[in-house]
Amino acid sequence: MIDLTPATIPPKAARTSLIVRLLKTPIGLASIVFLTLLVLSAIFAPLLTPIDPNQASLQNILGPPSEGHPLGFDSAGRDVFSRLLYAGRFSLAGGLLALIIAAIIGVTGGLLAGYYRGWFDSVSSWFAGLLMALPAMVVLLAARAVLGPSMWLSMAIFGVILSPAFFRLVYASVTAVRDELYVDAARVSGLSDGSIIGRHILTVVRAPVIIQSAMILGIAIAIQAGLDFLGLGDMTIPTWGTMLNDGFVNIYKAPLLILWPSLVLALTCMALTLLASTMRDTLERSGTKPKKLKQRPTAGIDPDKVPAVTHDEDHRTAARTGEVLLDISDLSIGYAQPDGSTKTVVHDVSLTVRRGEVHGLIGESGSGKTQTAWSIMRLLPEGGHVTNGAIVFEGKGLAHATEKEMTKIRGRKIAYIPQEPMSNLDASFTIGSQMVEPMRVCLGLSKKAATERALELLSHVGIPNPKRTFAAYPHEVSGGMAQRVLIAGAISCEPDLLIADEPTTALDVTVQAEILELLRRLQDELNMGVILVTHNFGVVADLCDRVSVMRHGRIIETGPVRAIFNSARHPYTQSLLSAILEEGNARGELAPVPPQTTTQGVQS
Amino acid sequence: MFGFILRRLVSGVVLLLVISVLAYTLLYVGGGNIARRILGQSATEETVAQKTAELGLDQPIIVQYFDWLSRALTGDLGTSWFTGQPVTEGISSRLAVTLSIVIGATIITAIVSVILGVWAAVHGGWVDKVVQGISILGFAIPGFLIALGLVTFFALNLKWFKPTGYVPFAVSPTEWLASVTLPIIALSIGCIAGVTQQVRGSVVDALHRDYVRTLRSRGLSHNRVVYKHVLRNAGGPALAILAVQFVGLLGGAIIVEQIFAIPGLGQVAVIATSQGDIPMVMGLVVATAAIVVIVNLLIDLLQGWLNPKVRLA
Amino acid sequence: MFRWKRAAAVGAVLALALTGCSAGGSNDGDSASSDKLTLGLIATATTFEAQAINFANEAPYGQAVYDTLLKATPEGEVVENLATEWKYNEDSTVLTLTLRDDVTFTDDTKFDAEAAAQNILRFRDGTSPNKSLLAAVADAKAIDPTTLELTLSQSDPNLLVALTQNAGMVQSPASFENADIKTNPVGSGPYILDTKATVVGSSYEFTKNEDYWNPDSVHYDALSLKPYADPTAMLNALKGGQLNGANTASNNDLAEIEAAGYTVNPFELNWTGLILFDRAGTIEPALGDVRVRQAINYAFDTEALLEAVGQGLGTPTTQIFPTSSVGYDEELDSAYSYDPEKAKDLLAEAGYEDGLTLSMPSTSGLGTTVFTLIGQQLKDVGITVEYTDAGNNFIADILAPKYGSTYMILQQDPDWALINFAIAPTATFNPTKYQDPKVDELIETVHNGSQDESDAAVKELNAYIVDQAWFAPWYRMQSSFVTDAKTDVKTQVGNAYPYLWNFTPKS
Repeated sequence: MIDLTPATIPPKAARTSLIVRLLKTPIGLASIVFLTLLVLSAIFAPLLTPIDPNQASLQNILGPPSEGHPLGFDSAGRDVFSRLLYAGRFSLAGGLLALIIAAIIGVTGGLLAGYYRGWFDSVSSWFAGLLMALPAMVVLLAARAVLGPSMWLSMAIFGVILSPAFFRLVYASVTAVRDELYVDAARVSGLSDGSIIGRHILTVVRAPVIIQSAMILGIAIAIQAGLDFLGLGDMTIPTWGTMLNDGFVNIYKAPLLILWPSLVLALTCMALTLLASTMRDTLERSGTKPKKLKQRPTAGIDPDKVPAVTHDEDHRTAARTGEVLLDISDLSIGYAQPDGSTKTVVHDVSLTVRRGEVHGLIGESGSGKTQTAWSIMRLLPEGGHVTNGAIVFEGKGLAHATEKEMTKIRGRKIAYIPQEPMSNLDASFTIGSQMVEPMRVCLGLSKKAATERALELLSHVGIPNPKRTFAAYPHEVSGGMAQRVLIAGAISCEPDLLIADEPTTALDVTVQAEILELLRRLQDELNMGVILVTHNFGVVADLCDRVSVMRHGRIIETGPVRAIFNSARHPYTQSLLSAILEEGNARGELAPVPPQTTTQGVQS
Repeated sequence: MFGFILRRLVSGVVLLLVISVLAYTLLYVGGGNIARRILGQSATEETVAQKTAELGLDQPIIVQYFDWLSRALTGDLGTSWFTGQPVTEGISSRLAVTLSIVIGATIITAIVSVILGVWAAVHGGWVDKVVQGISILGFAIPGFLIALGLVTFFALNLKWFKPTGYVPFAVSPTEWLASVTLPIIALSIGCIAGVTQQVRGSVVDALHRDYVRTLRSRGLSHNRVVYKHVLRNAGGPALAILAVQFVGLLGGAIIVEQIFAIPGLGQVAVIATSQGDIPMVMGLVVATAAIVVIVNLLIDLLQGWLNPKVRLA
Repeated sequence: MFRWKRAAAVGAVLALALTGCSAGGSNDGDSASSDKLTLGLIATATTFEAQAINFANEAPYGQAVYDTLLKATPEGEVVENLATEWKYNEDSTVLTLTLRDDVTFTDDTKFDAEAAAQNILRFRDGTSPNKSLLAAVADAKAIDPTTLELTLSQSDPNLLVALTQNAGMVQSPASFENADIKTNPVGSGPYILDTKATVVGSSYEFTKNEDYWNPDSVHYDALSLKPYADPTAMLNALKGGQLNGANTASNNDLAEIEAAGYTVNPFELNWTGLILFDRAGTIEPALGDVRVRQAINYAFDTEALLEAVGQGLGTPTTQIFPTSSVGYDEELDSAYSYDPEKAKDLLAEAGYEDGLTLSMPSTSGLGTTVFTLIGQQLKDVGITVEYTDAGNNFIADILAPKYGSTYMILQQDPDWALINFAIAPTATFNPTKYQDPKVDELIETVHNGSQDESDAAVKELNAYIVDQAWFAPWYRMQSSFVTDAKTDVKTQVGNAYPYLWNFTPKS
């Protein structure tokens, strides 16, 4: 059986591609080039200048630039250019030292404390509090008095002092995800704590930590300069801070003296910040989180551009004579790329949904079924838009409707049930308030009326104690309950069309059946049209009147559900079907897929 | 909730005790010849020895510490060895100064960086680029250069403000405002830059959450979702970074206080620590630690309100 | 909620800008009026308690609130103040002073000889850094309300000068036990500290003492003393016209300050260079050899150092006695001219042709450039300097003594004070307690000889320690007191800060 639960990209691949991607953005490239040059110039300082940075000369005090001394001399007659290069060694290394120490202590502590909680949590949080409450200046000065003015030592101490910045960040991220379903799932499936932290939790904290690192490095370098600037540094080694100090003292006599270290310092901090923010943007776009992967189906490559196999109506589908609610024709969806081009992920999709009819949309990861579903509500992720074709809902074109028009249609006319119940509820608000708010907006109900209706709906979807659930926060209910809540929310404004995006995938087998039963009941009662996105033929067989099989962003076969089951003609559909028969699996996991699709590494 | 606060306060008191021991040890070890520093170069060795005895510096550290502690527990933090001022008075007057700057800077930072960060994240495109550009510049320019630039331009050229000094609020509210404006701006600029980035980041992050789509699918407008749900969820991380900034500012106001000659905690912390003014430094340590404990407690309470998952049990 | 925030933010910024504007605008003129004197200092008031009070850079704090028994003119001549007459007995061991009877303290108690006597004894037994000024006082007693008698254990040529300084300050005896005496002084001086308006460590505000007995010496209705920890802050305060006068920490920014409309009042107070403590060679055996000490003197290009470190403001010298001293000899200003070759020869003669290593303390408090330059200059003649950063323990460490030699800036006191500060076996700045029979003999003559004998002995002593290279002075530094266009000042011989009554409004 193939595991279709969200998997992460192998970290190594992500990292390599991250650097490559960074280099492709102009800002990322510029920052990396600057920082690389800076590091190289520091490392190879002796090759770049023959002059000893500490060679003082009474004759050259504050001397102007001259042959071999492009930036002139400082207040002790030392060569500014040479000092600037050598200072890079100490300033950068000092900053790195602080960063590494802060990161090691903070990230490890944050991971362990956030993941294991318990006494380790209390102890390390207490230490973080201690570090934050202990005045850095007292510690630094005392250490300096006892151990002498060593920059390495002060930066090491500073690293320890800064570590709560990482600790708190990581701790917050870890506590936020440790109870997420996929972490739970990983735990249940027997992964060791080490692998869970490595695979799931590190992934979540990686981006913030990288961003924080660049900031901390900048801060550490700036603080190092600050200490030197205040005269608390080690005056025997050249650093940007000691140079700043010298420049500051002579700011009116030799104004240029302060310019060079300021410039290098400012550019370094800038490059680090820019790098961090570009890195973050790049990570966001590539999607470190499993969720994001859905947003970038790898379509576009289109080896089988052939018309969909269409089956004739059978007596059951023919009996559905409700008006056509939704008519999608030749729909294509594309995403704007950074280089200005558009990447098409859904091609020429056509389908119809009648009132009272359930239309299944089945396909494997990245086949474009979720994209199609979102495009109907016009809730595609950033950059996504309808590039071609029409979406006609109750006679009205939605493909290019204004946002205002769409807001009126959403909820009231078209409703949506997401795949993963937990992440689709806002953890900061009670379940009740998340149900009441749309009803007040869409139906114009008073708070009281909306509350009553919400309680009714909750009980209607089979929640045993509606009042308690109403007042609960999302993390206080089970996944099955949460999905019922979302279903209740979706039907709260009595929509005509319900889009259910894999409504049972994230749930236990026993709960799945109940939820499907609930959907069937509600669909009957409300006589809604339903688009059911799934990768599970069992669900299709259970609920659907009609089914369209998607692959590579196209519909390859469509028709009444029986026709597909009995006489699938497309080889892909056939292979999907034979897979369930072989496995004989109740959940009906998706069949083995042709090899080339597995390499795409993304799923829907 | 009450139990939570109580426990936090108790652990805070323990923290204070540990910190006071640590600080006293550090000061003792790093102190050197404090009496000589008080008396300067012209005093004879005998005078120095006499002063050392007068300050009790010839006692073993344990005796000195418990002497300090027993008096501190009765609220007597002693008098500064270098200005003769009672420590509690010195700290409270300086605390008011530093707090008026740091709170001012924190408020301005919070407001400006939330506006800029949310704007950049929600609007995207050129707004995002411009905001990022500005905030990166603000982050990258060393603080003292900003401070010097502000003094030169607004105080020396335009003469809108006085270049140095501090006027207590009680003496004249308007002059007080005038005397803290430039320092607050100088402190804020660097902070805004950093916090804006964080706010933008967490808003972008929150915007990509699944529940945003689901809420919008229920017919809520984009703005409503952003300003009610996204902001609240982005609030936690933003608040955390603000708290860190606030604590950092308490000590980080040093350079600004030096340049504007403002009698704040940062300034006195550097001077008192480097001199070895033990009563003053101990007072400062206890006061800042207490502030940090309280601020962290408040932040945690706020976090709990913002993110019900972190219920305070 | 968000929109509200945005609106509030805009409002706050506007309000800030507006009030900032108007407040700034309306207050431009308050600091530099002729009714109020605002002075910048580089030191805060360590304490206002008379028995522990500091002087030198802190002198104005004490002079504002206390009267001294005697007073010094700007040129250093001792004149009457609380004491109108004074007289020594024959062997100068008993000093009798006649005191005024019309002086009251600001707590309305009366000043009398008893009050003066108590203050003298308390200062002698207190913890002022200058308490050794009264070390010779065996007893002080009031003969009658206007007659004070000081009995000395041995004669002290510097005693009268001491009584014009902090040693002569008189605090109200009724306030001796006040809990807040360190920050709330009670004296009979020209001003009263306004503790409400004062921000300790930042600005000390004084109002005029309306009942002052000597109103002619008070030229301002109010006084504000503002210490600055950072020279740039003081520079900005000067450029912003916030100060009528200030003593600058260094001459670095003089050009800027002059450009801002201030007048520089120069005076020479300190000498700078190296102190070669270890004349016996106990810490650094090499320094026990006079040739090594002389070599060090020859190694420094003092003219260039004056240019480089002292902005060219000062006079090169190799002697530590001031120009005002009877022992001063112009010839000695150039006893050792820069001659690295000669230095190397002397080192070779002393057996150090392969060079030697000296360890010295450094501190950022005295600048960083100067230590680099010392290292470079000595390296040029074959002496390697290994620095240890002593930070704020610099003075304590050199007086411990932990080092054989050090860079230093020292004040040029009057002869007897200077001898007891830097030369005598018991002197603070002779921490190795080095003793030379010839020096001892000369000091004895200075102390107990006739005026002529004493003057000649000072001169000989000066020449002798220059020849023996006890020190390696570079130059006498120019100290600069700057005043604005509205203020006149006379600088004070022998003190870093001009005396308070020497500030006058320019007419």
